[in-house]
Amino acid sequence: MKKIFIGIIGIIGLMGLVSCDKIEEGEYTVYDGAKVTWTSTSSSLTPVQRVYVEKFTGPRCSNCPLADATLSTIHDERVVMVSINHPTGQGIPYPGQPDLRTDGGTVWDKWYGVNAIPAAYINRDLSQQYLGDMGNIVGDINQALTAKCVVALEASAYGALDEVDAVIELQFVTDYLQPVTVTVALVEDSLVYRQLLPDNSVDDNYVHNHMLRKVATSYWGADLEASGTAGESLMGRVDFTIDSDVNLEKSHMVVFVSDKATRKVLNCVQCGITFEVDEK
Amino acid sequence: MIKRIFTLALLAALGTTVSAQGLLGGHVTGNVQMDGQMSRADSVIGAQDVPEKLLMNARADVLYTNGDFSAGLRFELYQNPLLGFDARYSGQGLANYFVAYNGEKLSVTAGHFYEQFGSGMILRAYEDRYLGLDNALLGMNVQLRPVQGVTIKGVIGRQKIFWEYGEGLVRGIDGEVNLGSVLGFMKESKFRATLGAGFVSKYEDDEVIPSSANPEMRLNLPLNVGATSLRADLGYGNWSLQTEYVIKGQDPSAINGYVYHPGQALLLNLIYSQRGFSASVQAKRIDNMGFKSVRSQSGEMLYINYLPAITKNHTYAFLSMYPYATQVNGEQGLQADVMYKVKKGTFLGGENGLDLHLNGSAVFGLDTTVTGGAGTEGYTVNGGLGETLYGDVSLEIAKKLSKAVKYTVTYAYQVFNPVVENEPGDLHHNHIVVADVLWKVSKGHSLRFEAEWMGSDSHYDADDPAHNDRRAGDWIMGLVEWNIGTHWFLSASDQYAYNDGVGNYYNLTVGYTHGATRLQIGYGKQREGLLCIGGVCRVVPASNGLTFSLTTSF
Repeated sequence: MKKIFIGIIGIIGLMGLVSCDKIEEGEYTVYDGAKVTWTSTSSSLTPVQRVYVEKFTGPRCSNCPLADATLSTIHDERVVMVSINHPTGQGIPYPGQPDLRTDGGTVWDKWYGVNAIPAAYINRDLSQQYLGDMGNIVGDINQALTAKCVVALEASAYGALDEVDAVIELQFVTDYLQPVTVTVALVEDSLVYRQLLPDNSVDDNYVHNHMLRKVATSYWGADLEASGTAGESLMGRVDFTIDSDVNLEKSHMVVFVSDKATRKVLNCVQCGITFEVDEK
Repeated sequence: MIKRIFTLALLAALGTTVSAQGLLGGHVTGNVQMDGQMSRADSVIGAQDVPEKLLMNARADVLYTNGDFSAGLRFELYQNPLLGFDARYSGQGLANYFVAYNGEKLSVTAGHFYEQFGSGMILRAYEDRYLGLDNALLGMNVQLRPVQGVTIKGVIGRQKIFWEYGEGLVRGIDGEVNLGSVLGFMKESKFRATLGAGFVSKYEDDEVIPSSANPEMRLNLPLNVGATSLRADLGYGNWSLQTEYVIKGQDPSAINGYVYHPGQALLLNLIYSQRGFSASVQAKRIDNMGFKSVRSQSGEMLYINYLPAITKNHTYAFLSMYPYATQVNGEQGLQADVMYKVKKGTFLGGENGLDLHLNGSAVFGLDTTVTGGAGTEGYTVNGGLGETLYGDVSLEIAKKLSKAVKYTVTYAYQVFNPVVENEPGDLHHNHIVVADVLWKVSKGHSLRFEAEWMGSDSHYDADDPAHNDRRAGDWIMGLVEWNIGTHWFLSASDQYAYNDGVGNYYNLTVGYTHGATRLQIGYGKQREGLLCIGGVCRVVPASNGLTFSLTTSF
């Protein structure tokens, strides 16, 4: 009898523990980003397969400049790079230095489970991780560039003060019937702030490029309202604001299309921000 | 294909109406019910015209039993649904099917099933045809009885909503132990105890619910929401105490305004009874206990749980004119009930005795402080009482004057807050008196007379949203019911708002019963209002016309 009673309470207690989610106070809401408005078009785009590279870095990471050096040898415009400031440990900024950590970058960092930096991934393929000097990442990027293009992608962005208006054009080259999402992010180049170097000295004038400043859509992308059949073309419009410490003139917009379930990137594109010229 | 199977099964069932036996050695039983309605516009009572002219709800249940095995199905038809039933019922088809094994130590049901854990505060899948409510689970239900007095239940499935099924997945486990059966020393004891515990969890996919405070934020929704129950049913001699405490995890939903405040509920019922006398006190406190399998669903469908009402379910027309609807987001209340049978030969009891029944209940809201909207904790609960939601006290005296004549007199005082129906307006204070006389004229023939009066401080004003409730005002009612032999009955009634109200609702009904078959036809006016059963309610719109009903079983 005692065993039965303990058994019942045990099973019910176990179910209670594993079948109930608890959201901590302060996390009741999450960033959902700017909304993308999609319309069907008859545009025909030139299919260009590009490669999306995410690199996790930090100002107190002595090996991160090694990764920068490796990636800086790539000059192919078909490679789209985003540097993400690791949220903890070696990613914590030096006192008085800019804090490049972002909410979106932290969510992505947690998803990868990044526990050592530098770390990089190609097209969000979890099976391939590059650490330290990045190993054979250059060869693998070149290999990824030869993949067949599933979806052609183009983008343009117009800036004014603290706002960006963007247009995304997309066309399925082959059938892709699984749900996909489109993520829009803003990265900034030529940011100068302190960086720990491999010899453990610091460089106060280190130039950081491709730094993620904002994920404009929701962190895992906006749903693409499309059937995914070959030839289908869509145009998306999205407006988003940026923080005052972002220099839009040194920024560019990154757009990538991902499989909604696996989050693997199918294609990507980047573009500069165009400003309206003041006639006066 | 399913329609063909159903047709064959129905024919098989009807074919056995005479013998109701013999199909593969088993038994086939069932019942059929058809309810029809014709209504035309009446601007005074607010009845709308029915474009279809005829509305009908119909159903046929067939149950096949063979030893420990049983299988059943139910065909339902809503062409189109009667007034007051959700338009999403429109259509016809197989609404329920199951196969079941019911052995000594194991029961298994596959298909649709109804189930309840404890008082239902964490799980109650049930159906009430008069409320238009069917929360059946489609899935599996397993019950184990390893030793006498111990029952373990496990359920998994999705809830029925009209002709479809909710996206949320419901899982639950419940255990109950009757100590008197399993502990030897308690078998002869005056002390009785049954202990139980249950857990129910629902899983639902993520969805985008925008934060009300910031359009760039959305709610971080818990995908798995659980509710746990602990309960005890204790007894000693003439006393018994039933209690259940329930907690529910964060469950932001449409019914609570997407707040993250956890839920809890406590139900207590203390009863004393002896020959000729019984008394009970019931207490209930609910805080955010609406538990649905689909978070965005409002209305009465897809509730996983049921929160018992602690107000008396009145049957007389004016007493039930303002029924109480359970407030799932928060309420607290008490009910006391005393029944006393005055002995024959005493001053009050006279020659045939006298039955007294006193009942009172009071329900209040929770005293809360709002701290935010969607995407926040929502509110904090303070210790006091919130606004008055409902209260009533009624005294019923029933006396048999002779073998042929029995009368019942009831007085009731009610306080009703329209907020329980999400309507504006002031508290209604009603005094109600009912006199009911039954006269058995001869063997098989009886007459029943009923007279009711209600005086209310409410008034009707069609142009004022706070006072356009057609139940308002002072009312009188009369009813005569004549049972003619064992087959026929006739009934005539009229409700009339004679002061500060509107409407004259007359009804004529004739019915014929033969064996298990009953046919009833009525003509008259139905007042708009709320039909509540156990605190769960359905809006009944006004109607004006013919109704008929046919029921039979085999």
